[in-house]
Amino acid sequence: MKILKILPLILLTLACVPGDKDGGQVDDVFPYTIHQKALPNGLNVVTVPYESPGIASFYIVVRAGSREEVEPGKTGFAHFFEHMMFRGTDKYPTDVYNKNLKSIGAAANANTWLDRTVYHMTGNAKMLDKMFDMEADRFQNLNYSVHGFKTEAGAVKGEYTKNYASPMMQLNEKTVNVAFDKHTYKHTTMGFWDDVVEMPNQYEYSLMFFDRFYRPEYSTILVVGDVTPDLVNSLAEKYFGDWERGSYVPEIPVEPEQTETRFAHIQNANFPPYLSLNYKSPAFDPDSKESASLSVISQILFSQKSELYKKLVIEERKCRYLGGGAMFTRDPYLFSVRSSLHNPDDLQTVKDEIIKSIQDLIDNGVDQKVLSDTKSHVKYDFATGLDSSTAIAEVLSYSIWATGDPEAFGRFFNLIETITVEDLQATAKKYFIPEHLTISTISPEEEGGVL
Amino acid sequence: MRTLKITIILVLSGLIVNLAMAHDLVELKKNTSNKVVIKYMFNVGSMMDPEGKEGLSMLTASLISDGGSTQYTKIEIDDLLYPMAASYYASVDKEVTVFTFEVHRDFIDSFYEIAKGLLYTPAFDENDFNRIKSNQQNYVDQIIKASSDEEYSKMALEDLLFRGTSYQHMIMGTSSGVNGITLDDAREFYKKYYTKDNLLIGIAGNYSEDFKNKLLLDREQLPALQFTLQEAPEISMPDGLQVEIIEKENALGSAIYAGYPLDITRVDDDFAALMVANSWLGEHRKSYGQLYEKIRRTRSMNYGDYTYIEWYENGGRVQLPLAHVPRHSNYFSLWIRPVQIGVQLKAQYEELGSIDVGHAPFALRLAIREIDMLAKNGISKEDFELTRQFLRSYIKLFVQTTEKELGFLMDSHFYGRENYIAELDELLANLTVEDVNEAARKYFQVENMYVCIVTDDSETEALSENLLKNKPSPMSYSNLVREGLSEDILQEDEEVAAYKLNVKSVDIINSQNTFK
Repeated sequence: MKILKILPLILLTLACVPGDKDGGQVDDVFPYTIHQKALPNGLNVVTVPYESPGIASFYIVVRAGSREEVEPGKTGFAHFFEHMMFRGTDKYPTDVYNKNLKSIGAAANANTWLDRTVYHMTGNAKMLDKMFDMEADRFQNLNYSVHGFKTEAGAVKGEYTKNYASPMMQLNEKTVNVAFDKHTYKHTTMGFWDDVVEMPNQYEYSLMFFDRFYRPEYSTILVVGDVTPDLVNSLAEKYFGDWERGSYVPEIPVEPEQTETRFAHIQNANFPPYLSLNYKSPAFDPDSKESASLSVISQILFSQKSELYKKLVIEERKCRYLGGGAMFTRDPYLFSVRSSLHNPDDLQTVKDEIIKSIQDLIDNGVDQKVLSDTKSHVKYDFATGLDSSTAIAEVLSYSIWATGDPEAFGRFFNLIETITVEDLQATAKKYFIPEHLTISTISPEEEGGVL
Repeated sequence: MRTLKITIILVLSGLIVNLAMAHDLVELKKNTSNKVVIKYMFNVGSMMDPEGKEGLSMLTASLISDGGSTQYTKIEIDDLLYPMAASYYASVDKEVTVFTFEVHRDFIDSFYEIAKGLLYTPAFDENDFNRIKSNQQNYVDQIIKASSDEEYSKMALEDLLFRGTSYQHMIMGTSSGVNGITLDDAREFYKKYYTKDNLLIGIAGNYSEDFKNKLLLDREQLPALQFTLQEAPEISMPDGLQVEIIEKENALGSAIYAGYPLDITRVDDDFAALMVANSWLGEHRKSYGQLYEKIRRTRSMNYGDYTYIEWYENGGRVQLPLAHVPRHSNYFSLWIRPVQIGVQLKAQYEELGSIDVGHAPFALRLAIREIDMLAKNGISKEDFELTRQFLRSYIKLFVQTTEKELGFLMDSHFYGRENYIAELDELLANLTVEDVNEAARKYFQVENMYVCIVTDDSETEALSENLLKNKPSPMSYSNLVREGLSEDILQEDEEVAAYKLNVKSVDIINSQNTFK
């Protein structure tokens, strides 16, 4: 089965009021109640009851990702450590942990990204006590052997190996390396290959990593589904109440201002030509009109509905695909416009068309109907996606790692409703400047050749 | 409209779900939902692609899901649907094509007026055709070979396993097949196969009876059946292990996918027993399968190792199975995620300077040996109980969303079942360990198998020679890993290294020459 679907840009904003079709008035941004309780040790416990009979999604969000990899030679370590969290404790050695996990009948896994590591399991709500027991144990009492540590490093190398087959992965690695000088966003979450190969020798560092970040002040427990806040809170107190706070605060290097356009290129004649324009974008702030404006701009300028898409993809067929947007990151990152092309000779033309489209927004604004349609699109796209405990937990966990607050995306949604054409123009003028741009390309040529 | 065949009312914790099924309609009413999902499943897929036009079913479906109607152009449709954030897409497999439409209930009427035009009066516009065909051609010529070696190895295995049959080519087609498709071909294909008698409609969520009736009435504008339903091919067991090595430049590892025909599907009640055995051996993306434990966790060889008793769509990305890949012609498969090649191991570890091949032969031997032992020895009562307990909970997660629940219900229809997930739970509940071990004995074997390996050109010759000559393949650990391994594991390694594979042929193919 092959699914052909042009995915809309993911705008992680919160839901809608049915019947509000013009994107105007919103009273209640999220249809489900978010219950929060902070334990004395600083651990925040979030519960969202949801009608998923017999099923609960149990998430632990740790606000430590590749952003926190501040020491040289340790790139990829947050992700590697995520693997180590499955290597057992004294109470539940790996094989016992796996048997318990299997008995829950859950879809369980973990993943790491720039700003966080998320551990999740969706399974039998009646076994919530067991879920808490297992997770609390490994978050507080992880104890793996040196051999287990070295062995797990091979799995990470395997993961890098399978990812490497994609030229897009190679280009992304190169792009962030070129775009950033000091900040830890310079490396991807997978890390540099040399550091990945070196991982088995970092056992001592791994103990320090656990001691630093696997602490209540870095973590949030989130449970969505067939549960009550009382039950979740009592289990959190029982299993995580004694978890000790830590004291480590990383010093994330501040990225100096970029002063000229930079370039990253991959030569590959066996892959369609590719262009991405990567502008430095601000840290995500749910209360900032700039963050909200960038989300709206990504839709208006680069979605399937945009004039640029119609021209380059549908009418002139210079591009096979076009899309763009900013990630919601804790520190300034990149707003990327991406396009897959038919012909490498068009790389410069497509770049010029993208710039022209941005400049047109700055100079002439956009039609009011386009803006209100966009607000409607954002709302309804989100509302129809909140249809399982897992989907809701995914959204709330994003809000938690990006801001520390599960309610933040709700505020952000309200803010989008207030965005004006002038806001869009001012934001575009500030962020889409050539001095802050990194141009990335894939083509058969040795050089990218795009100016 | 035909009479509803069966209606089941499920009362689940206060949530009332109406689930109704007819020969041509599947209903899943959810009055608390904020949206409506509509699905149209046609019994047409890539196995109906005419010879020389491989990829036609996909291209035809894409012209509907990514083109215009006689009423609106593609651009007009994008504009109209934008404020609704409605989504619609086509999924095509070997035997079925499914169109899925999802929209917030606020917009259901205005959305449906646009959507039905796509399905019943598609434009078949030349510009849309050229755009879509070009992308499909590019996928077959470049993307599949240069994006994920794992996905590449899976498509290459199907090309090998189903060679000479209507199942052989990728859903996206072949290079010459796509190239040969004309707009008239797509028009004719649509006329022939998109008929009202060849269609199962599904509707789920929060909709009215009137709306449902309108759906059924509109279907009448499609023509009646004009063709004889084609049967899925019967494939024969290969003679021994037949290996195909695909060599490419700059691969960092060896991606392995292997399989053999399996004479059982969801139609058969025995499928539940085989599912337990398979889950114990290699449940998809789970850390407690036997292969994962031995290859990844114990020996540090790769990112994961799994087995399947039916096609698992997009396994590299999804953790739970997708709907709409129902098939009558089935096979067992083994997925070994990329393992290290010799050149890389030598570069990383001084102590491995003298090896002549990477980890692929050892990983393959180890996995096949485990399958062999499962077929011969079965699983213990304790493992049976635990695996069954896992599956009885896990299968319910396949249908967490309204869209997926409807999808699995419609697939049930394909297999002559009413509700596969519910029936599977009952079958699992009634199993014994003897049933499972009997199924393992009957369906698992290691003498005959197709094996496909995508690897770097530096690895090809040594790998080929190792497999063809059935040379021992001692595991080449780095000292880092070797020093902590127990005697039991090292002993098992020796047995694996000497384990004979019934290799009958090894062919080496350059990547440029695949999917022609």
